[in-house]
Amino acid sequence: MKRARALITLTIVAVLLAALAPAGAQEQITLVVWDNWTRDAEQAMIDQLTAEFEAANPGVTVQREPYDTSDLTALLPLALSEASGPDVAMINQGYTGMGALVQAGLLLPLDDYAAQYGWLDRYAEGLHSRNRFTPDGATFGEGNLYGVSNTAEVVGAYYWREDFAELGLSIPTTFEEFEAVVKALKDAGKTPIVFGSLDGWPAIHTWGAIQHAYSTLEEIDAFMYRREGGTFDTEANLLAAQKMVEWIQAGYFSPGFEGMDYDNQTFAAFLNHQGSMWITGSWMTGSIIAELGEEPIGFFVIPSALPDAPPLSIGGVGLAYGIRAGTEHPDLAAAYIDLVTGPRAAELLFEQGFLPAAEVDPDLLVEGTLTADVVNAWNLISSQNAVGHYLDWTMPDIAANIQELMAGQVTPEQFIQDVEADYQAGG
Amino acid sequence: MRLPAWNTRLNNPPYLRPYHAYLFILPGLVIYVLFVLWPIINTARYSLYDWTGFSEPTFIGFDNYRELWRDKDFWLALQHNAFFVIFFSILPIMLGLFLTALMTRGRLRGMAIFRSGLFIPQVMSSVVVGIIWRWLFAYDGPINEFLSLIGLESWVRPWLGDFTYARYAVGTVGLWVQYGLCMVLFIAGAQSINEDLYDAARVAGANAWQEFRHVTLPGLSQQILVAFVLTFIAALRVFDLVFVLTRSGGPGKETIVTSLLIYQYAFQRNRAGYGSAMALVLSIIIITVSALVMRLQARREEERTV
Repeated sequence: MKRARALITLTIVAVLLAALAPAGAQEQITLVVWDNWTRDAEQAMIDQLTAEFEAANPGVTVQREPYDTSDLTALLPLALSEASGPDVAMINQGYTGMGALVQAGLLLPLDDYAAQYGWLDRYAEGLHSRNRFTPDGATFGEGNLYGVSNTAEVVGAYYWREDFAELGLSIPTTFEEFEAVVKALKDAGKTPIVFGSLDGWPAIHTWGAIQHAYSTLEEIDAFMYRREGGTFDTEANLLAAQKMVEWIQAGYFSPGFEGMDYDNQTFAAFLNHQGSMWITGSWMTGSIIAELGEEPIGFFVIPSALPDAPPLSIGGVGLAYGIRAGTEHPDLAAAYIDLVTGPRAAELLFEQGFLPAAEVDPDLLVEGTLTADVVNAWNLISSQNAVGHYLDWTMPDIAANIQELMAGQVTPEQFIQDVEADYQAGG
Repeated sequence: MRLPAWNTRLNNPPYLRPYHAYLFILPGLVIYVLFVLWPIINTARYSLYDWTGFSEPTFIGFDNYRELWRDKDFWLALQHNAFFVIFFSILPIMLGLFLTALMTRGRLRGMAIFRSGLFIPQVMSSVVVGIIWRWLFAYDGPINEFLSLIGLESWVRPWLGDFTYARYAVGTVGLWVQYGLCMVLFIAGAQSINEDLYDAARVAGANAWQEFRHVTLPGLSQQILVAFVLTFIAALRVFDLVFVLTRSGGPGKETIVTSLLIYQYAFQRNRAGYGSAMALVLSIIIITVSALVMRLQARREEERTV
């Protein structure tokens, strides 16, 4: 008897379960996302957003796969060409990144979604153009929108506030004043600028900062987007190359900078106060705050050498969220992008020490902190249309040329000619 | 004892041997074909295409090779590989021989510890090697500190970032990594040299050098050739050491090597076809030189047996 009853109970349960199942589980969708958020603080931010997205979209599971930048660059093209590839992915800008993917027809144009969600109002059009390509992938900076970014970057000078206070220096507003600051620091027996060029790319930022100070946005844009008249052979570039050599001879950079790497030696030299300033990107803000807190270090953008010009600085938007052309869930992918690039994301990014591409609520800024300095610097250049470019987007070899210039292997004139020859040959 | 029938036919040409024999090599063969032969064949095929690595490939015949012929960076990289043969191959063999002579001459206390200690660089991960040597070569690092300590301040320089010395610095690390392999090969070889030869040499009044020159060295000729082939291949295909020491082959292009260029073209600049052409040329150079050395070895053996 007992056994029979157990059997009946089991049968009832089984029937009930079978009846319930289709109602309980609507269609299950898994959205695969490849992103660039690998550090702890970043993961906390993006997991929070992802959880909010899943809560708002029942039946949807987001499968995040984080990769560092070089892995992402190497693996993404193949993954995007597979039917099982990621629905949403973060994409590096430039010809070899987004351009090649567009050319291969792997990315979905986002213009309709941008109109639907109002993405174009999130930040300036000059910044959206960095995520634009013509459909053949050949022309950068115009055409369809293929990505939306949620972070911004600006290259400027981090500085030890106590050094400026000690020597009575103020934040320079012209390039002449900036040079006077550098010289005053040197005369006081300090190393004015912490710098290490072993890894190559930091040289692009340091020389590029000087180059941007002498250039107009039109010159830089024409060069980057390979527009009509785009050339490296400009008066501004020659002046910047000569200035770099002059500064090296004057001993304005860390001694032995040619042999210093970025992540360990240069970063440590700045943290250990072996120099007063460090010209690098806003991406270091979180790491500096983690080591030294908000107060001892400040940040400013390097002013222009041209009369009455805004402080044109290397910068832009971070990796952009795009959608794989072959995805089965484009609408859902767009909804995810809307959330992770929207105001809620900006709030969380700011809390984690990142510079959001979208505007930060001014009430959140505390004067005298590094975070406030960086946000203000970004607002200064983005509001005045003074956001420049990373030269290696169009000239992948340029770090080697700059190293040659710095070591006196070539004259400034020869440096200009070498890069121009490479540029005319197609990069 | 009666041998199984198939065993008696092992002298047949390969295609006449019974299929059982091939079953034994099948597992290894499958892996080899899948992960070595097939990729090589594909590399050869890709090298005839203009291909980003993920777009629609366009057949262009030998255009990639024509471009390669005119590519200054490629020739420069090959020159650097040739330069590294000195540091990855010739110097490690000489150092290995020297250490072998030291270690086989007398019985040293704690020899095993010495030997394993000297072998450690060879088995270390190249990333670890890179971090250690970046620190050693740093401007305020131990090497420069030592130089100033002994009064050679004028020699202090940012080694890895110096246009003249970066190559030598990377080469030195190569020497440090490679000599262990040579040493172990030579010590093993020296142990199989007939002791009588040493006794005879000593009776004849040979000094350490003569003993080494006329007994140890001829006895090690096989091992020296093997060591040369292995380290020569390492010098031509070096990638990791340069990547961890100077990142992109800097300063300028002073330490750029062929494998680094292949990586840059295939994975960073989306020119998989061109990178494949470069890889194939490098492979052909390696195979040719290795084959020549092996040939030399075979001929020597013949001479000896005749």
